[in-house]
Amino acid sequence: MEVQELNALSPLRAFEQSLHGGLGKGNLGVLVSRHGIGKTACLVHLATDKLFRNEHIIHVSFSGNVEHVINWYKEVFRQISEGRSLSDAATIYNEILANRVVMNFSQENVSVEKVLSSLETLIKHGSFQADAVMFDGYKLTIASEEDVRRIKQFAMDMKIEVWFSVSPVRPDVVFDEHGVPNTIMKYENLIDTLIGLKYNEAMDKVIMTLVKDKTVHNPIPMKVSLDPKTMLISE
Amino acid sequence: MTTGDEGVFALRESRRILREEEVCMSELSKMRNIGISAHIDSGKTTLSERILYYCNRIHAIHEVRGKDGVGATMDSMELERERGITIASAATHVVWKDHDINVIDTPGHVDFTIEVERSLRVLDGAIMVLCSVAGVQSQSITVDRQMKRYRVPRIAFINKCDRTGANPYRVKQQLIDKLGLNAVLMQIPIGLEDRLEGVVDLVTMEAVYFEGVNGDDVRRAPIPEGLKAEAAARRLEMLDAVSLYSDELMEAMLDDAVTEELIHNAIRKGTIALQLVPIMMGSAYKNKGIQLLLDGVVNYLPNPTQVTNTALDLDNNEEIVVLKSDEKLPPVILGFKLEDGQYGQLTYIRIYQGKLKKGDELFNTRSHKKFKVGRLVRMHAASMEDIVEANCGDIAALFGIECASGDTFCHPSLNYSMTSMYVPKPVISLSITPIDKKSADNMAKALNRFTKEDPTFHSYVDPESNQTIIQGMGELHLEVYVERMRREYKAEVTTDRPEVAYREAISQRAEFNYTHKKQTGGSGQYARIAGYVEPIEDGPDAKEFEFIDMIKGGVIPSEYIPSCEKGFTTAVKKGAQLGFPVVGVRCVINDGAFHPVDSSDQAFQTAALGAFREVYEKAKPVILEPVMKVSVEGPAEFQGNIFGSINQRRGIIVSSTEDGVNCVVDAEVPLSEMFGYSTVLRSLTQGKAEFTMELAKYSRVPTGVGEELKRAYQEKRRKEQGR
Repeated sequence: MEVQELNALSPLRAFEQSLHGGLGKGNLGVLVSRHGIGKTACLVHLATDKLFRNEHIIHVSFSGNVEHVINWYKEVFRQISEGRSLSDAATIYNEILANRVVMNFSQENVSVEKVLSSLETLIKHGSFQADAVMFDGYKLTIASEEDVRRIKQFAMDMKIEVWFSVSPVRPDVVFDEHGVPNTIMKYENLIDTLIGLKYNEAMDKVIMTLVKDKTVHNPIPMKVSLDPKTMLISE
Repeated sequence: MTTGDEGVFALRESRRILREEEVCMSELSKMRNIGISAHIDSGKTTLSERILYYCNRIHAIHEVRGKDGVGATMDSMELERERGITIASAATHVVWKDHDINVIDTPGHVDFTIEVERSLRVLDGAIMVLCSVAGVQSQSITVDRQMKRYRVPRIAFINKCDRTGANPYRVKQQLIDKLGLNAVLMQIPIGLEDRLEGVVDLVTMEAVYFEGVNGDDVRRAPIPEGLKAEAAARRLEMLDAVSLYSDELMEAMLDDAVTEELIHNAIRKGTIALQLVPIMMGSAYKNKGIQLLLDGVVNYLPNPTQVTNTALDLDNNEEIVVLKSDEKLPPVILGFKLEDGQYGQLTYIRIYQGKLKKGDELFNTRSHKKFKVGRLVRMHAASMEDIVEANCGDIAALFGIECASGDTFCHPSLNYSMTSMYVPKPVISLSITPIDKKSADNMAKALNRFTKEDPTFHSYVDPESNQTIIQGMGELHLEVYVERMRREYKAEVTTDRPEVAYREAISQRAEFNYTHKKQTGGSGQYARIAGYVEPIEDGPDAKEFEFIDMIKGGVIPSEYIPSCEKGFTTAVKKGAQLGFPVVGVRCVINDGAFHPVDSSDQAFQTAALGAFREVYEKAKPVILEPVMKVSVEGPAEFQGNIFGSINQRRGIIVSSTEDGVNCVVDAEVPLSEMFGYSTVLRSLTQGKAEFTMELAKYSRVPTGVGEELKRAYQEKRRKEQGR
């Protein structure tokens, strides 16, 4: 299968449809759930889909281990390319990697200001025209409102999409029926798209619910879900 | 006897006496073969110097870039002393607490990685030196990979705990996170940075101080009050980790009857099984922690009998044979390093089985030549001592042996070969021209020696330009050899701009049908071959060239098939675009014709050569260039400059890591763009950033760059033809 066909058949098209065309530049999107549900895989799948469509991605991680992130991309690419029998997969993988940079920070020592300044440095000095930034494992639930506002402003100034994968830090957090913790709601006005992920044992699937889309706050189940085996978004 | 001879005699005599005092030779359980590996500037050579000093091998300490101008003892080459880097691994023998330790000091720069690889091949254990400030750096990752490849058990030594920003706990975490090691603290520091006083030994639960002018006096005292709780917690952590390797220790913990010996045994077991890395710490420069590290080497690293070494039996279909550390068995020896120094040619050897005596006869299984062991010596950096015999497990050196690096020497009754060592291919070449006849002679001598010593260094004369070309693993690698030619051989040479070792490849399948016909008097030549060429799919086992014979019905007689293969093999050696080898190509023949009189081996070779030349353009050839994995480390404030410099070099930024103060930028950059990068980086970052690089892969060059290369190549050829 060629890349164009793979893109057309991707379950991410249904994901975008649910979002009425996608997140859009200058906006903040959040994937939220309990720990261990598959947010990182989901985020990497979103990013890989963009890479397949020649977009430029910056993956911001706070894990302290770049190799770990790189391995996620390798694995997601492998699953997609093998699942669709992608022709000349090795060459395509090398090509799309040129459009991805992993930036790794230790959140304790590095302020949001510094993170954003490093991103700006990469975009400007590194001439890396990013289309989207994926914040993986950012502790959004304990970030200050000012920090989130700064990120939002950055997204608008740089004309990029910003996605977060978020798990609550505190153990006493209350989750609603869509897997959304109450601690995230204080930033609701700054978040453009909020998607909750929750494992449904009977269906053996991670259900994805669009909790908020732009101005509409009416939780609806999405056409896609997360396959707990492959950890990929599927229809 | 002249006065000079008397001096030499006296010196030898004193060494002999010294030797006789060291009576612990014969016991294998008291022998350790260790290496010291690390990132550049982590203080390996400084550490080696301290080891020599505490083991009474030298009587004064000289710093790497010390004001006394003497330089460190292990850095024996003049150039090394000047640049403050270690190039060749110097082997040395020391005695610590009744144990014989052979230490190989290995170079840190990635251009000299073959040296590191070779040393690891012959070692039983290693000390991995890490800087307490910089932690796990790019080169540490390379070294880690090599240690894993050769299954070398190791101790981590966190050095430079006296430096501002020192944090051994962070380094420990990095060993776990970045290298995936089960790293366990054996010590904790007493004070850090300029307040570093000593360490707490978590096994004995004592504070250890290093006193006297050079830290010679080790004083053990009760743990300072303020550190007691921390030490107790860390000890518990250590015992939990270590007890997994010893049921006895686990039981003793339950009964509250833990002894030092039980802990040491468990650590040793885990370390040798490559499942545990004990961490020791200190500051070599400030003479703190080295004696405990030596204890660690003795206590935790394996002796030669605890490591399994194998060889291939060449008389028995290369069957794997396990070598036994038994001195009664016939000897099996590996020559792992050649050096042509002031004493003549030296071959460093490791004895894997049997013992070796002066006068013994050995058999070189590569050259099939027998030779007698003349002088047998033990090396101590640049000086040496004569010995009468060396036992299995030992590292020694032989004089005047005609051999290449990596050769196996056996008892004449055996025909074993030690497993071959991994040798990477060169990525860069440089043409050198001697300035006069004398330099030309000296250059030939130097090249002869360097190519024998270092399998990653090659040299040849280009038949077209008649110039001498040297090839190696990086700019610095070649620079060092050119410099050594000047200094050690008085060979003055001029050099051109270094050239990248490009490769050529085809990008699509194309068919050929070629007839070679010649009828110009005498016997004629006739051969026709048809088939196709196609790219070989990428993959870990992908071959560089493949020939497939699909001829049916004898349209080409079977005796001419090898001729066709030979023709293609010759053709791919030099591609038409840049004159570099064509790789990843499969040549398939499926049809052809012959003439009963005019066909010959030569005719089919020529036909295959012609067929390839004809089909090459149709197969859309591309140029491949070496792309380096570059890792730049420096203060975060210069991140923008680093990004910019990579971007200007057609580089791809793979990742960047920041911890608030420093940043590490990993990128993939074509080698052709990296020439002179060290100077550029220095000026961009006020000399505060450094970089390392190694070959990542070969990638297609962009069309524009490729066209420019082809144009330059054609230009060069025209000039050469005009000459």
